[in-house]
Amino acid sequence: MSAPILWIAVPFIAGVLILFFFREEYVAYLGGAAATALALIAFVIPIDAALLLGGISIKIAPSVEVFGRSFSLPAADAPLLTMIYGSAALWFFGAKVSRSAHRFVALGLIICALLTASIAVEPFLYAALLLEIAAMLTIPLLAPLYQKPSRGVIRFLVYQTLAMPFILFSGWLLAGAEASPADVNAAIQSGLLALMGFAFLFSVFPLYSWIPQIMEETAPYAAGFLLWALPTFTAIFALGFFERYIWLLNTPQIAAAILFSGVLMTASGGLFAAAQRHLGRIFGYAVVAEVGLILVALGLHSSESANLVFLIVLPRSLELSVYALALSVVKGAAYRLSFDDVKGLIRKYPIAVGALIVAHLSLAGFPLLAGFPSRLALWRELSAQSLTAAFWVFFGMAGLIVAAARALSALVAADDDAKWQINESWIQSLMLGLGVLGIFILGMFPQMLAPFLANLPQLFERLAQ
Amino acid sequence: MLILSVCLIFFLTAMMLFVLRVVQPKARYAWLIAASGATAAFLGVALWLAQMPFQLSLSWQPKALFPAPILFSADKISWALSFSVAALTLAVVFAAARRPLLINSLSWAGALLLGGLGILATAADNPLALLLAWAALDLAELIVQLRSARRKKDSEQISLSFLIRAFGIALVLWAYIESLAGGGNVLFDSISPNAKIYLILAAGLRLGVMPLHLPFAADSALRRGFGTMLRLVVAAATLSVLGRVQISATTFSPLWILLASVAALYGGWMWLRASDELNGRPYWVIGMAALSVMAALNGNPVGAIAWSCALVLVGGALFLSSAQDPRLKYALLVGGWTLSSLPLSLTASVWNGAFNLFAIFALVAQALLIAGYLRHALRGGLETLDGQPSWAKAVYSAGIVVLLAAQLLLGFVGWDGAFKFGNLLLALPASILALLLFGASKRFRLFAPMRAQWSGGEGEKINNLYQWLGSLYGGLTQSLRFVAELLEGESGVMWALLFLILFISILARDI
Repeated sequence: MSAPILWIAVPFIAGVLILFFFREEYVAYLGGAAATALALIAFVIPIDAALLLGGISIKIAPSVEVFGRSFSLPAADAPLLTMIYGSAALWFFGAKVSRSAHRFVALGLIICALLTASIAVEPFLYAALLLEIAAMLTIPLLAPLYQKPSRGVIRFLVYQTLAMPFILFSGWLLAGAEASPADVNAAIQSGLLALMGFAFLFSVFPLYSWIPQIMEETAPYAAGFLLWALPTFTAIFALGFFERYIWLLNTPQIAAAILFSGVLMTASGGLFAAAQRHLGRIFGYAVVAEVGLILVALGLHSSESANLVFLIVLPRSLELSVYALALSVVKGAAYRLSFDDVKGLIRKYPIAVGALIVAHLSLAGFPLLAGFPSRLALWRELSAQSLTAAFWVFFGMAGLIVAAARALSALVAADDDAKWQINESWIQSLMLGLGVLGIFILGMFPQMLAPFLANLPQLFERLAQ
Repeated sequence: MLILSVCLIFFLTAMMLFVLRVVQPKARYAWLIAASGATAAFLGVALWLAQMPFQLSLSWQPKALFPAPILFSADKISWALSFSVAALTLAVVFAAARRPLLINSLSWAGALLLGGLGILATAADNPLALLLAWAALDLAELIVQLRSARRKKDSEQISLSFLIRAFGIALVLWAYIESLAGGGNVLFDSISPNAKIYLILAAGLRLGVMPLHLPFAADSALRRGFGTMLRLVVAAATLSVLGRVQISATTFSPLWILLASVAALYGGWMWLRASDELNGRPYWVIGMAALSVMAALNGNPVGAIAWSCALVLVGGALFLSSAQDPRLKYALLVGGWTLSSLPLSLTASVWNGAFNLFAIFALVAQALLIAGYLRHALRGGLETLDGQPSWAKAVYSAGIVVLLAAQLLLGFVGWDGAFKFGNLLLALPASILALLLFGASKRFRLFAPMRAQWSGGEGEKINNLYQWLGSLYGGLTQSLRFVAELLEGESGVMWALLFLILFISILARDI
C-alpha cells in the first residue's frame, strides 16, 4: 500500500461508490467514518516506516507513479493529512444535519482526494490543474440538478479557471528563471504572473465578489464546504510554491504585495460584512476577511509564517463547519437569510442561533474563542513590521464584530413575550453543541494544536528559516 | 494557586448546583451547597492577605507564537476589589435565603459563576488576562440578558450593549497591539504611555461613562439578587484595569476628564432623583464609575479602586436590602460614611491625585451620589420578613452585614488605600453638601423622585443622542452595498479586472 493510494485513490473511489450505490440516510455516517479512519491512519501509522502489528509488518510507501507523473506524500505530510481528513470528517458528519448529505458527501470525498493529490503531485505545477478540476466538481454541489447555475457560481468558475493559466505560465517562466538566475526581468515577470494566479485562487479584492453571491444564492452548507476547502488547499499549495521559490518571498516588493492584498482583503471584508443585511453574505465576507489573514501571514517576513498560516487554518474548519451548519438550520426555518426573514428566530432555534453567533465571533477574533489565539499571534508579528497594517487588520476584525452585533440584533428581535422553544433536532443540537464547545476549548487551550504545528517546519524548512 | 483555588471553588460549586438542578430538582440542600461554596471562596480571598503578593501565570503553546503569559496576581491593589466581589457573591447567596429555596438554584449557580469570573478579572495582571476575563463576563452577561429579556426593544438594546462592550475589549486589544509593536512581553506597566489611555477609555466606554450612554437600560427584568450581582461584578471587573495603570497627563486629558465629569454629574443627579434604588441602579453605576475614571485620569489608581470597591460594597448592600428591618435600615448608613472620603473611610484615598478645576465637578457628583444613597437607604425596603424562619432572617441580615463590615474593614487593612487620612479639605465639603442635598431632596420639588419607567424615559433620551451616529452609519452601509452590487453585477468582472490591473501597475512601478 502506498500513501497516495490510501489518501487519494481510496477516498476518490469511496466518493464514486457513495454517489452511485448508497442511500441517503447512511452516507453522512459512512463518509464521516471513512474520513475519520483516514485521519486516524495518518495520525497513528507512520509513512515510509515499518510498523509491526503482532506478526504483521505494515509499511506505507510514500510515493507512486501514474502516467509518468509522481504522487508523493512523505512522512512529513502526515499532520497535514490528519488535518485534512479530520476536518473533512467534521463536514461529512454535519451533512446529515444539513439535509444535503448524498451529493455532498460523495463529491466532498472526491474533492478532498483531488485536493490532496494537488499537494502530492510532482511536478507540482500540476496542482493547478487538480485545483481546477476540484473547483469544477463543486458546481454540482452548489447548483441543483437540471437548474441553470447562478451568477455567483459561474463567476467562481471563471475566476478559478483564469487562475490556472497564470500559475502554469509562471511555473514555466520560473523554471527558466531558475536556470538563468541573472535574468532579473524573467524572474520579475514570472513572480508577477504567479501573484496574478494566486490573486484569482485566493480571490483577493476585488475578485471575491462571487463569495457573498454564492452564499446568498446556494445552500449554505455546501458553499461553506467550498469556502473551507479551496482556500485551505490553496494556502498549502502557496506554501509549497513559496517554499520552492523562496526568493520570491525574499523580494520585498512581492512580499509587500502579498501582505497588502491580505490587509486589503481583511479590512474590506470586515467593512462589507458590517454593511450587510443577509446572514449568508455576512458569512461570505467573514470568510473573505479570514482568507485575508492567511495572506497576511504568508506575506510576513517572518520565520513563523508557515506556523501562523496553519494556526489560522486549523481552527478554521471547526469555525466554518459550525457556522455553515447553524446557517443551514436557520435557513431551513426561515427559507431566506435576510435580516427581515430571520427576525426573532433565537426564541425558536436558540442553539443554532447561539452557535452561529459564537462561530462568527470566533472568526472575528473575539477573545476566548478559537480564532483569537491565531489573530493574537498574527498581530504580534505584524505590529513589529507595520503598525499601520496591524491597524487595518484590526479594523477588519472590528467590522466583523459590528456585523455580529447587527445579526444578533435581528435574530433576537422576537415579538414581546414570545415563548422560548427548542426546535432543533437532538442530532442538530448535539453537533452544534459539540462544535461550540470545541470553539471554546481551542480558544482557551490553543496548545491542543501544538502537535500539528510542531512537525510543520519539516514540511516548509526554507520558509521556517 | 490561591487565585485558581478560589475561582475553582466558585466554578465547581456552580457546576454542582447545575447538576443538582438537572438530576434532583427538588433538592432542599441546594442553597446550603451554594452558601458553603460562597463562604469558602470568601474566606479563601481573605486568606490571600497572608501570602500576598503572589501570581498565577498560565501560558499557551507554542511558545514562539505566544511568548506572553496569561498573568493574574494578588497584590495590594487587586485584593480589595477581589475581596469586594467575593463579599458580594456571599451576600447575594445569603440574601436569597429568604426566598423560596427550591426554585432559584440556577440563579445561585449563575451568581457563583459570575463571582469566579469577576475574581479572575479583578486579579488580571496583563492585558491578555484581562481580555479573556472580560470576554467571558460579556458572553455570560449576553446569555443571561437575552434569556431574561421580555420585550423586543430590550433584546435589541442588549445586542447594542454587547457591541459597546466588545468595542471596549477592542480598545484594550489595540493598546496591547500598539505596545507589542515596541517588542517584549506586555504587562500593564510596560504599556506605552500613549496606549495606557486606551485602557481608561475602554473602561469608560464599557460602563457608559465616555461617551455618556446607558448600557444597562434593558435590565429591568433582572432585578434584585442576580441582577445586582451581574451589574456590579461587571462594573468591578471593568474598573479593575484602572488600578493597574498610572496615567500621566496628556494633551487630551482635560477632554477625557470633562467627559467623565459630565457622566458623574449626570449619574449623580439621576441617582438622587430615581424613584427607587433599583430603577436608579444604572445611574449609580455610571456615577460611581465616572468618579473612578476621573481618579484614574488624575493619576490616582488607588483612588480609582477605592471608588470601584465602594460601587460594589455600598451599592450591593443597598440593592440587596429589600426587607423592612429598622436595624438594617440604619446599619446601611455605614455606606454614607464609606462614600464620604473622610479619614479612615474606604474612599479616604480618592482625593490624593492631581487637583484641578474638574475636582469641583467630582465633588458635587460625590455629594449627589451620597445624598441619593441616603435617601434610598433610609426609605427602607418594602418586603416583609414576617413568616420567614428565624434562621432565614438571620442569614439574610448576615449577608447585608458582610458587605457593611467589608466596607469598614477595607478602610483599615489589606491594601494600599487602607488607613489613609485623605484630603479633609475636599472630603468635608463633599459630606456637608451631601447632607444639604439630602435635606433639600425632602423639601424641594426640584429633587422630587422621577416616575419609574424603563422606556421613553431620561435614559432613552440620552441614548437618542446617538441616533445621528446611527444615521451616519446607515448612509455608510448604503454606499458599501452599492459598491458590492457594482462588483457583483454584470459589469463586475470588468471592474474587478480594472482594479487588478491598477494594482499590478502600481506594483510593477515599484519593482
